[in-house]
Amino acid sequence: MKEIAALLGLCGLLAFAPCPVQAADWKMDPAGSKLEFVATFEKTAAPGVFKEFDARLRFDPDKPAGGSLEVTVKVTSADMNIADVNKEIPGKDWFDYTAFPQAEFRSTDLRRIEGNRYVARGVLLLKGVKQPVEVPFSWTASAAGAVMEGELTLKRGVFGIGAGEWEASNVIGADVKVKFKVKLRKAG
Amino acid sequence: MLRNASDSWGALAKLFHWVVAALILAQIALGVMAASWRVSPTKIELFFWHKSTGMLILALVAQRLLWRLANPPPELPSGIAAWERAAARLSHLLLYALMIALPVTGWIVNSASNVPFRIFWLIPLPAIVAPDEPTADLAALVHGGLAALLALALVAHIGAALRHHFVKRNTVLIRMLPGTWRTP
Repeated sequence: MKEIAALLGLCGLLAFAPCPVQAADWKMDPAGSKLEFVATFEKTAAPGVFKEFDARLRFDPDKPAGGSLEVTVKVTSADMNIADVNKEIPGKDWFDYTAFPQAEFRSTDLRRIEGNRYVARGVLLLKGVKQPVEVPFSWTASAAGAVMEGELTLKRGVFGIGAGEWEASNVIGADVKVKFKVKLRKAG
Repeated sequence: MLRNASDSWGALAKLFHWVVAALILAQIALGVMAASWRVSPTKIELFFWHKSTGMLILALVAQRLLWRLANPPPELPSGIAAWERAAARLSHLLLYALMIALPVTGWIVNSASNVPFRIFWLIPLPAIVAPDEPTADLAALVHGGLAALLALALVAHIGAALRHHFVKRNTVLIRMLPGTWRTP
């Protein structure tokens, strides 16, 4: 219940959903944040971005347990800056914009690895497929807020991205690197 | 033997001629197939080989031109009319120009379309123009037009070589054949 209330951002508003004492609420500053994905064409990196996404975080760097992270990605904002590719990726074989316009990552299991490095274990919902995913990140606090940064590698095939004849990984690689830099400020 | 003689081509000029000739024929087939194939992994593969081969041809042609400058071609045999000499000079000039212009316009298409590419998976090809869709479309149109012109120039080139051999019965064709061919 506590997690659900935290996810919904209701903690403190509802009597049955007390906020964990040390945790702070963080909201994303879109201007300073970036979500990139790097596919490969013929073994050569082909970078793209999701222009629109949002991250909400309950996190105390000194006590990560009890925190939560919720990321929503507007899949339809994908841009690989290649006209021919941008014409293909909305289709059913790739992101299938019509059926799955949004992706989500939710974690209520945040842990410190060492120093300022942490990991969020959660579930990624992408193109209708739910998969457990570990998102490692570094945390850099500043006077204005904080920056969380990290990268992970996903197998596109698990999510059915590149269906049918595109499943073969010799032309379009199986691995897609996801890189993020999220600028956060404490929510009022 | 490596260098040209006054009446025959040297081994290096012959090697350049036949290697580039084979690559150009493969390249035309790859280009036509890549452009017309439906969007699929095969299409990307065809373009990958077409682009890699194109850059190989460009590198070879640059060396071939340097070799030609350092090493004058053999003279044409006697019995060749002034108009034939002019046509030969013009058509060879056109072939060299196209062997440079086709890879360069292809390179512009690749740069403008912003497709990441490494030649034969090895050498990253730097962009020579900024990403821009209209530029890519225009360069692709020019590239296709030049390819059609090359096909015509090749027909003229091969036709002229056969005419020299079978009609005029001179040494122009056989002196470019690999190995040492006895002149008739």
